[in-house]
Amino acid sequence: MMSEVEVVFIVNGVQKIVKTAPHRTLLKVLREDLDLTGTKDGCSQGDCGACVVIMDGKAVNSCLVLAPQADGKEVLTIEGLAREGELGTLQQAFAEKWGLQCGFCTPGMLMSSYALLQSNPEPTVEEIQRAIAGNLCRCTGYAPIIDSVQHAASMPQEMSDGR
Amino acid sequence: MDGDVIGVPAPALQNQQLLTGRARYTNDLRIPGMLIGKLLYSAHPCARILEIDVESACALPGVVAVLTHADIPGENSYLYHETDQPLLAVDRVNYLGDAIAAVAAVDEASAQAALDAIVVEYEPLEGIFDPVEAMQPDALAALPGYDNVIPSALFEIGDVEAGFEEADVIIENTYHTQWIEHAFLEPEGALAYIDLDGTVVVYASNQAPHRDRMQIARSLNIPEHSVRVVTPFVGGGFGAKDEAHVQIHVALLAQATGKPVRMIRSREESVLTHVKRLPVIVKHRLGASSDGKITAIEIETIGDTGPYENAGRYIMGFGASVATGPYYVPNARIESFCVRTNNPIGGAMRGFGGPQVALAYEGQMDSLAKELGLDPLEVRMRNAIETDQPTPTGGTIREVASIKVGMEEAAKIADWQGRHQVERQPAPNLCRGWGFSSTWFVIGMGRGQDNAGVIVEMATDGTVVLRTSAVDMGQGVFTALATMAAETLGVDLDFVRVIGPDTDKTLDAGAAAASRQTFVSGNAVLRASAVIRDSLLETAAEETGLPIEVLSLKGGRLFAEGELLNNTVPRLAAKAAFANRPMHADGFYVMEFPEELSTKSDYIGVGPSAFGTQIAQVLVDIETGEVTVEKIVAVQNVGRIINYGGAYGQLLGACTMGTGYSLMEELVIEKGRTLSDSLDSFLIPTSMDAPQTVTKLLEIPEPLGPHGAVGIGEPSLMSTAPAIVNAVSDAIGMRLTQIPLTSERVLAAIEGVEQ
Repeated sequence: MMSEVEVVFIVNGVQKIVKTAPHRTLLKVLREDLDLTGTKDGCSQGDCGACVVIMDGKAVNSCLVLAPQADGKEVLTIEGLAREGELGTLQQAFAEKWGLQCGFCTPGMLMSSYALLQSNPEPTVEEIQRAIAGNLCRCTGYAPIIDSVQHAASMPQEMSDGR
Repeated sequence: MDGDVIGVPAPALQNQQLLTGRARYTNDLRIPGMLIGKLLYSAHPCARILEIDVESACALPGVVAVLTHADIPGENSYLYHETDQPLLAVDRVNYLGDAIAAVAAVDEASAQAALDAIVVEYEPLEGIFDPVEAMQPDALAALPGYDNVIPSALFEIGDVEAGFEEADVIIENTYHTQWIEHAFLEPEGALAYIDLDGTVVVYASNQAPHRDRMQIARSLNIPEHSVRVVTPFVGGGFGAKDEAHVQIHVALLAQATGKPVRMIRSREESVLTHVKRLPVIVKHRLGASSDGKITAIEIETIGDTGPYENAGRYIMGFGASVATGPYYVPNARIESFCVRTNNPIGGAMRGFGGPQVALAYEGQMDSLAKELGLDPLEVRMRNAIETDQPTPTGGTIREVASIKVGMEEAAKIADWQGRHQVERQPAPNLCRGWGFSSTWFVIGMGRGQDNAGVIVEMATDGTVVLRTSAVDMGQGVFTALATMAAETLGVDLDFVRVIGPDTDKTLDAGAAAASRQTFVSGNAVLRASAVIRDSLLETAAEETGLPIEVLSLKGGRLFAEGELLNNTVPRLAAKAAFANRPMHADGFYVMEFPEELSTKSDYIGVGPSAFGTQIAQVLVDIETGEVTVEKIVAVQNVGRIINYGGAYGQLLGACTMGTGYSLMEELVIEKGRTLSDSLDSFLIPTSMDAPQTVTKLLEIPEPLGPHGAVGIGEPSLMSTAPAIVNAVSDAIGMRLTQIPLTSERVLAAIEGVEQ
């Protein structure tokens, strides 16, 4: 039996302590140990982007991050985007511009876009395309997603978390 | 009253859950004590099984059950149309996706260890992998006991020989399409448990919950009423989840262990096992008079269905039925073959055989235009079918006005005639081209089983519950159905809650396939909602003393000839219930065929039609063969926009999917082995590949559609690939007939290399 390690990290603003085998991914820990199933598993090998979360400000494929690598880090998942049940600006923009259909790629799309807007509040279309280039979507054809991100960028900023 | 809620842009109903991560897909479901299920798949595309030894697997810690074919209490087969595909292989594997054993264990690692410990002794066999070879009389049988060739359609109309004699020009080409993976983002999965009363409950990512129920019952050898199938959120389907995948296996494991079992396919398993859009060879011979009018067409199509029939026969039959496109062909002969091989299973994918033939007939129309020196738009306008002209299946089409309107509208938006003023060669290595494509799709199951039930009820506060088995896999059918209920009942969309597929709670609506649910379930919703609306209006008439004919409901309020009265739907709902008027109703709709059908008419490929036109502008680098899609204009008739965002979303998404189909996507199969078994080897368009697209939806009503609506999911995909291929052909000045148009293939064509 492989020995377990302790991972202490902040998830959606709350400190979490998880004991896990060191080879398990951040994705598995989020979904299985913390019941944060909003982050999706579409391929487990970094090809689809459904599992993107934000770790210390950067969008990462959580299926490619080993749990111990998250130790001491701050992780934001889809569950952390809405505040008190209210959709955040970016989520609202996706709703208004139909930036989603089946919804499976949506958490990853939102997190990649959120990370972009945090570092670049007024991105160009090309910058948005690049930011979500690792997030596959088979439904929308991407244009509505790009519209959504642009729309979010044009909306009034929220106070604490920017978007 | 039409249009208070219908067609008014509104966010999708499930957004709140989808955008916050609260939406639970199958893989997000967990039950305490749940086991993890896995399937052992074949190691060979074609082999005899000499022995399956599960003894050591069973003895491993954490392993609860290992099932083989001998452990299945009922039928060991899927039942889509045929029973030729086993759930668990008996003495032979016929493709790489055949399952041999099913295991359930306490965790993922134990389940994997069990798979690793199962010993299967194979005798690899030669197999047959080329459909044309498989058609030869002395070919190896892909599936012993079955002919390789499954004749799928033979449609004849007029006198083909005479038609070709009449022709001034004859265009003859053979088109080839490729294997396509659906690449829905959510891999298939299912979870099963035994309820307290013994009911086998199965949650599955599916498209046809009631067919799943039937299949599960027959394999578990229990009555259908003892099976309950629930569809949670579905992360895309595109046809592949129409057929059962692991839901029967997981139910067998739950039955065997008495414990909850969940099974989720890995991406690799998903690509290797589920049905694919099948590759089709289309031999197309077209004769036309010098004015561009088609005099005769002869088409032969050959499709590779893999070892099992699945939907192959119907896909090829459907493709044959729409193989003349939106054009009148007085003399036609169309023959279609579905062929068994040891490749992956050919099955349903968005378009159901339509995209393959569209590539051919639209290529032919462009070649004809070029041959006669006519504009591609003009040659199409001259051949557009009229409502009294029969199609090769013997049917006629009710709504045809949208063919010409759509072509003209697309030409206008794209400034089609203005293309002659645009530079054709902006750089020495770059050639620009334009492609036109106008296509036809038939909604529904033809004259086969095609019906849907829904339940609508209004509570005493005027809020509405709508129960439907139509699966919403992203296409937006929940919102569309809720919109129609809201319109009829005169309430806002947020008054309606949709309860999705659950065979214990919702009526059979058939599959979310054939772009049929808006039409069929939509009509059922109108019928059910009308019963409740009548209860409200009768109550209102009684209260106001006004005749019922002058009363109407809108925005939750009562109107008399457009004048607002002091009464509301919630108030009327409470009163109507108190007055013992029905406030819930089943709605049932069967696809109607009021028009006379000729005695020759086939049951397939008749029904409401959807027409669309797309125009592509491309730039081809003649040094590298690289194609860039500069712009797509897409015009699609939907009859009536019901769910605004859903309708536009389908069309936009289709343009990107069609771009992938025409330029980059190909599931590479070599001797039955899928080489591109992941999303980094089977490439679908990313945000960087999506073309700039201008869309327009037409609203020319289909007489029998709910509010005039026809489906859009599949029709919208039909035109993209032909438009792009025609544009590339235009750019390089030669007819291309094989997709995908990879750089290599385009370059080879430019350099005149034989392929």
